[in-house]
Amino acid sequence: MNKHITTGLVTSILTLSLWNCKTADPEPSVYESGVYIANQGNFQQNNGSVSYVATGSNTVQTNIFKTANPSLDMAGGVQDLADVNGKMLILVDNDKVGQDKVEIVEDGTFKSRATLKTPDIENPRRAIYAAPNKAYVSCWDVSGDYSAGTFFKDPGYVAVVDVNSGTVTKKIAAVKAAEGMVLVGSEVFVGSVSYGGNNTMAIINVNTDEVVQKIDMGGAPEPIAVDANGKLWVLVGQTMICYNPGARTVEKRVPLNSTPTSVAISRDKRSFYFSTGSRTYRFAITDTSVPTTAVQNRSFSAIGIDPNTGMFYGTQNPVNYTQAGYVIRYQESGALIDSIRAEIYPARFFFR
Amino acid sequence: MKTHGGFLGAIGLSLLAGWSVGALAQTTTSVSDSAVSLSAVTVRAIAPERFLAGQKLQRIDSTTLLQFRFSTITDLLTYNTPLAFRSYGPGQLATVAFRGTSANHTAVLWNGININQPNLGQTDFSTVPVAGFDKLAVQYGSGASAIGSDAVGGSILLGSQADWQTRLGVTVGQQLASFRNKQTQLGLRYSSAPGAAWQVSGRTYLYRSQLNNDYPYREFRNYFVDQATTAQRGLVQDLYVQHRNGRQLSVNAWLTDNDLILSPQDTVARERTRTQSSRLLTTYAAGTMTMRLGWIRDLMDYAKSDFTNPSHTETDRFIGRVEREFRLWPGLSRVTVNLRTGGEWSHYRTRTDGYGGQLITENRQDVYALLRLQTERWLVSANIRQAFVTRFNPPLTPSLGAEYKLMQRAQTTLTAKASIGRSYRVPTLNERYWVELGDPNLKPESGVNLEGGLALTSALTPTLTLTTDLTAYRNRVDNWVLWNPATDYHVENLQLVVARGGELASTLTYTQAGWQAGVRLGYALTRTSQERAYDRYARDVLGKQLPYVPVHTGTLNAWVQRGRSRLSVQMQTSSRRYITADNTQYFRGVLLANLLAETQIRVAKAAFRLQGQVNNLFDALFISVRRNAMPGRSVAINVLFSLPANHP
Repeated sequence: MNKHITTGLVTSILTLSLWNCKTADPEPSVYESGVYIANQGNFQQNNGSVSYVATGSNTVQTNIFKTANPSLDMAGGVQDLADVNGKMLILVDNDKVGQDKVEIVEDGTFKSRATLKTPDIENPRRAIYAAPNKAYVSCWDVSGDYSAGTFFKDPGYVAVVDVNSGTVTKKIAAVKAAEGMVLVGSEVFVGSVSYGGNNTMAIINVNTDEVVQKIDMGGAPEPIAVDANGKLWVLVGQTMICYNPGARTVEKRVPLNSTPTSVAISRDKRSFYFSTGSRTYRFAITDTSVPTTAVQNRSFSAIGIDPNTGMFYGTQNPVNYTQAGYVIRYQESGALIDSIRAEIYPARFFFR
Repeated sequence: MKTHGGFLGAIGLSLLAGWSVGALAQTTTSVSDSAVSLSAVTVRAIAPERFLAGQKLQRIDSTTLLQFRFSTITDLLTYNTPLAFRSYGPGQLATVAFRGTSANHTAVLWNGININQPNLGQTDFSTVPVAGFDKLAVQYGSGASAIGSDAVGGSILLGSQADWQTRLGVTVGQQLASFRNKQTQLGLRYSSAPGAAWQVSGRTYLYRSQLNNDYPYREFRNYFVDQATTAQRGLVQDLYVQHRNGRQLSVNAWLTDNDLILSPQDTVARERTRTQSSRLLTTYAAGTMTMRLGWIRDLMDYAKSDFTNPSHTETDRFIGRVEREFRLWPGLSRVTVNLRTGGEWSHYRTRTDGYGGQLITENRQDVYALLRLQTERWLVSANIRQAFVTRFNPPLTPSLGAEYKLMQRAQTTLTAKASIGRSYRVPTLNERYWVELGDPNLKPESGVNLEGGLALTSALTPTLTLTTDLTAYRNRVDNWVLWNPATDYHVENLQLVVARGGELASTLTYTQAGWQAGVRLGYALTRTSQERAYDRYARDVLGKQLPYVPVHTGTLNAWVQRGRSRLSVQMQTSSRRYITADNTQYFRGVLLANLLAETQIRVAKAAFRLQGQVNNLFDALFISVRRNAMPGRSVAINVLFSLPANHP
């Protein structure tokens, strides 16, 4: 009898501890190191998705949000992805008003943690890491009538997201058609979409979540990245502007001679890649003009550079968006690696 | 007077034979032909009913029409045929894929006239209520030789029908349904015989529905449920005048008004599509000749946010058709040979904002000869049609079909059927005239349809009857028109689509001592794919199933009836629907079911038909084209009052 009790006790403790272990341990990560691809889908079909390719692999894992959360549906185009302290934000744009959202998932398992919805999130465009456990999500706000010229609400806003609690803690009025954002020190530079009719860049202090300054850039500004010298590069129309974020001065302008489809910074942060209608070029941050020879004799609608390997990712899409697009990968040297089929309209990359 | 009665009887008989239940349509129609050689009804029958031997024709019985009296034709066809609909939501746009073809490949005929909206070349089935017509049949496969353009995948035949018996009949119908949806119908039927030689009959029918779709939930199984309101109004006016010598004049009018508002609460994102149609048709039949004159006006107004200044489409069509039907070699006793020759002329006038707003006119003419040969065992039809359209001519369109009774016993008839025919589709007005993108010199799409099958009717026991129909087909459509995204959506003849598949339909009915029971099963296999590579991404699409066309569909209708009470189950199931051309994404297969309980209560000479209905019985998740959930389970109560009791 005694033995029985002891065995029972031991078993219970063992079970309990195992159970405890189980709850304490996070679920095994499926997605460790690799690239997440944001697929915009076909707008009216609301069929965007996130695909994943593990480092060293050429196998595309499709619709990983659905795989991890079979009972949920994103129902929209994926605009952007960002990882903030182990939580990934997926920006989802639906073709109907009030249906946009941000899904917050565990980055390793893609299990859903929270969903941010209207009115916190309206037309989310980009997400970035702002501070520990704090993400910024730029939003156009509720869209108006495009033909009446009132499509963009003025101003758009930046939603401050606490990724742990899965809540929007503040909406910072920023610029009209708020879109691209880059963090420089403790400030986030917020630009706007090229056709938004806004020329100013808003600077937000991430400690106070307040706009500290607005700067006229002479055209719709799209902040791209901070280079090896700590300078912020901003795309304005056909020109890359090298901007001193501390002094708030323009240091130089590099004309690209054409409106790029996409711009991305290299691994060493000493050069930029950009695609035009038919070719892809690379220029160094020390250049004052762009080289005439292309690095690739083809154009990509979106470019991503793996910051760990320097690998170049470029997308090409069938124009009808009713079939999957491709990601063409090159070594940093420019040598072709492969072409992998993603999902409908791959448009952004997030490397982890 | 006696001959009069006999003549009427013959009409009654042929109508009964022609429009009774049964998939063996072509075969059953023939019974009346041998009874009365070339009756007035035969002459007046529209071509596809008589001259497409060897092809499947499915007539929808009156009980089914009555059960769906408060529905649109979409629901009726979904639960009774293998037609696949691409639906955008309740009360919203619904287009059809018939045997794996596109929405432009189904001709919708109303009393023999194609009523597809000519700018779009298709019909939005959500705007066609079952209350708008008296009879409905589905013609499978291309019927171009007898119908003309659009009849590539199949045709839907809507018709009005004179009722010479009812002196005065009143119908009042009311539906109350979930989500604050309601419908009212009001009808009159009348007939009289002024003098011994004349007969007059008519029908006036008004319907109105207001679908508020006011769902108590915003999401269903984590999918958004999109609210849209639809207000539908219509007036049907039929008038028939008949002389005892067989001459008949009929006037059919159908006015419809459909007002759809998406996201009505949102003043910025809301969208309104208003579709109004006026259809008027006059038919004069005398001896062997039938003459039809028609006018159809289609108006469409679309606006977003601000509804005051919509984009406007206005298209008029004037139609004239003359047909003569001859009996050839009437001396032959064992063979009946009929030849119908005809000509049709249509004049289109359209003012469309998207074409620049100016008046655009187009003429189309058709001439055709249809031959039908019948013996005791054989039914053969051989047809030829040539259409002429402003700026180009579609191909010569012949067809040949045959049916042969393999077995003909008292209890069992087994018929083998086969047909081959060419089909074509004249490009729509949008495809030809849309500013910059359209191409007036576009080639017509052209197809070849091949099909064969077996049909069996058997009285298994005195109380048990079985009808089964098995069909296989192959339909190849070339010069398939595409708004090519690679050339900024210019219209081009790019694709080649091959659809192949088969259909099985089987009905088993049991009748005994006041009891009736039955089960009707349908299964269809549809493989349809694009077969021509026209750009570098096409390899991912070649051979893939076309989007929104399930490979497998099934329907099941079962009922038990005792006296005037009936319990029915309607079920429809389909396999996955791919939503991308490369088949990388799909919506899962689904099973939908409705439950109907109905009874008729007689009060003096009047009857109240009470119908209780549970839609989506299993609360299944069905996803619309825009990735919204269709609503879950819902209920409806229908009351149909008629005086006298027995008129439809």
